[in-house]
Amino acid sequence: MIQSDIHGETPHVGTQDDDLIQLLTVTGERVHHQTYSSRVAHLDTEALEGLYRDMVLVRRFDTEATALQRHGELGLWPQCLGQEAAQIGSGRALAAQDHVFPSYREHGVGWTRGLDLRKVLHQFRGEDHGGWDPAEHNFSLYTLVIGSHALHATGFAMGVQRDGDVGTGDPDRDRAVVAYFGDGATSQGDVNEALVFAAVNDAPVVFFCQNNHWAISEPTERQSRVPLFRRGSGFGVPAVRVDGNDVLACYAVTQEALERARSGGGPTFIEAVTYRMGAHTTSDDPTRYRSRAEEDYWRTRDPIDRLRLHLVAEGTAPEFFTALDAEADAYGEQIRDYCRSIPKAESSRMFEHVYAAEHTLVESERAWFTEYEAGFATEGAQR
Amino acid sequence: MSTTTPAPSVQGLEPEVRLGLYSSMVLVRTFEEAILREYHADKGPGFDIGKGLVPGEMHLAAGEEPVSAGVCAHLTANDAVTATHRPHHFAIAHGMALRPMAAEIFGRTSGLGRGRGGHMHLFDPDTHFSCSGIIAEGYPPALGMAFAFTRRGSDAIAVAVTGEGAANQGAFHESLNLAALWNLPVVFVVEDNDWGISVPRSASTSIPNNADRAAAYGIPGHRVEGNDVDDVHEVAGRAVARARAGEGPSLIEVHTVRMWGHFEGDAQGYRPDLAEVGDRDPIPAYEDRLRSAGVLDDEQIARIRADATERVEDAITFAKGSPEPDPAEAGMYVFAEEAQS
Repeated sequence: MIQSDIHGETPHVGTQDDDLIQLLTVTGERVHHQTYSSRVAHLDTEALEGLYRDMVLVRRFDTEATALQRHGELGLWPQCLGQEAAQIGSGRALAAQDHVFPSYREHGVGWTRGLDLRKVLHQFRGEDHGGWDPAEHNFSLYTLVIGSHALHATGFAMGVQRDGDVGTGDPDRDRAVVAYFGDGATSQGDVNEALVFAAVNDAPVVFFCQNNHWAISEPTERQSRVPLFRRGSGFGVPAVRVDGNDVLACYAVTQEALERARSGGGPTFIEAVTYRMGAHTTSDDPTRYRSRAEEDYWRTRDPIDRLRLHLVAEGTAPEFFTALDAEADAYGEQIRDYCRSIPKAESSRMFEHVYAAEHTLVESERAWFTEYEAGFATEGAQR
Repeated sequence: MSTTTPAPSVQGLEPEVRLGLYSSMVLVRTFEEAILREYHADKGPGFDIGKGLVPGEMHLAAGEEPVSAGVCAHLTANDAVTATHRPHHFAIAHGMALRPMAAEIFGRTSGLGRGRGGHMHLFDPDTHFSCSGIIAEGYPPALGMAFAFTRRGSDAIAVAVTGEGAANQGAFHESLNLAALWNLPVVFVVEDNDWGISVPRSASTSIPNNADRAAAYGIPGHRVEGNDVDDVHEVAGRAVARARAGEGPSLIEVHTVRMWGHFEGDAQGYRPDLAEVGDRDPIPAYEDRLRSAGVLDDEQIARIRADATERVEDAITFAKGSPEPDPAEAGMYVFAEEAQS
């Protein structure tokens, strides 16, 4: 017997928004959605202003950190510019006991977990033992290896299952785990294996994919022939595609996925369609591979602007925005002062602890690097 | 046989094609039964896996012959096949010479890899065949070969084989995605024999049909539910024709049967269907069908079986009569040039 479910037609990645879940348009109007509107109905003006404040302050943090890198205060900075709605919307749907495995750009999610974002600067300043206590905020350390933490999240979720913290019906006990990764990570075997394990074990994990359109310089259409959320069907995992620049829609779909996970319904794959407005990191120059027109298009879809338009239309007073601007300025100053106060470690210390015993290759590299760094100092002194 | 047009329907399958499918299955089974005999000949009391003429693990494919026969009928030696740790049926169906193949299995210097690879590592440049003991590791190299064929302007294709357990490996997904994106001439074949060693499919795979995985990468997927060589031939014919025509990759999953253990010596205590598995032997069933259809009579059956036995025993005799490698040369061929210590 030959089954007739032959998939001869090849779908292609497009910008068609047929499947895209949206609750707030780019011009700040609320849209009714049969399934998801009810999930944000309880968010009053104060709550919306709170989400707006989250996004503004996270953007300020990100902007300051970028500037600090340009001043030589940080070695590297991965910007979250433009992805604030995806991160704040999903992050604010989490319960305290839920656990997050971020990649390296989830500053907004860290903010929602109550993490003092200034701690994130330590790692990027090259400080020894930089980081934070993952258990304190249920927010794991950043993972720089693409997609590997999807496996950690799935393993953690299987542990939650074995602790009996799934499907008890106790809202303070049932836990979900969220793995944040990007469009590029979906091409990694690790992410696919994580989906296999999560699906076959009904693990309480949410795969939150921020499709920001660029894996460094590789566009999404060169990474997948189908819209990414369709991958879910290959694993038997429910999947949704959401406007990642719509903080309300991101909140709603994440809340649904978290409830499914916590109640024992297994994993969900969320594709949040957003855009990386900045560079991949401060080591990257996106003008080399993408057009100004594309950036301009996405600038009109800014996640903060559309919520501001909505708040203004709903009657939020100008004083709210003025006060928030002042708060952001003060926060920026704190960030700058704090960053400069973190002592810089000797760069040559990276050669320590590579081998138990002295190794000729490492020693020769250390000697070369020490001379290289000393060369900079000499040049500076001669000027 | 090179097929550049879609295969004929099952009803219209030509008698010579069906005889070819039957002969392939018989030759494979005859070979595997001979290996089984030689492998177990001197394992000593208590089955010492390190003893005997063929030391080490042995994974035989009895029951899975319809997959190799149905797929390889559409291939020539110009096409590449990357197979699994259970490779003999695909190697033979793809036309590997039996003498160097048997010699490799016996670990002799006249083997394909001079006796250094063993039965899971049969590399044959003549038929573009390779296999690996590492699960799903044949998938990425198949893409590389398909890419090379395309760059050279050839219409050759690559066939990548795994089991259903391996369809959960990251390499499987990476390969499907990249082959889809680059529109490579690859046919992915999943042999679903229900068991990943002792792990049932339900514990390894979250969906009933790996054709759905193909759809998740934007390529056609087909599942052949019965272990029927005619059906495999038809579905594989379409997939191969698609690949040759530059229309890109496809995935075929065949629900087949592992009649023997995962490896020889596997008592299969985990397997509830052990008593009935013999009834699912695809070869007698196909033999009956061809006899009823007037394609095959007793005389032809006897001749095909006798031919198979003659070729297989010749290969076994060749292997057993070939020298073993000199242990002093164990370090050779690890690097192209002698390593500096």
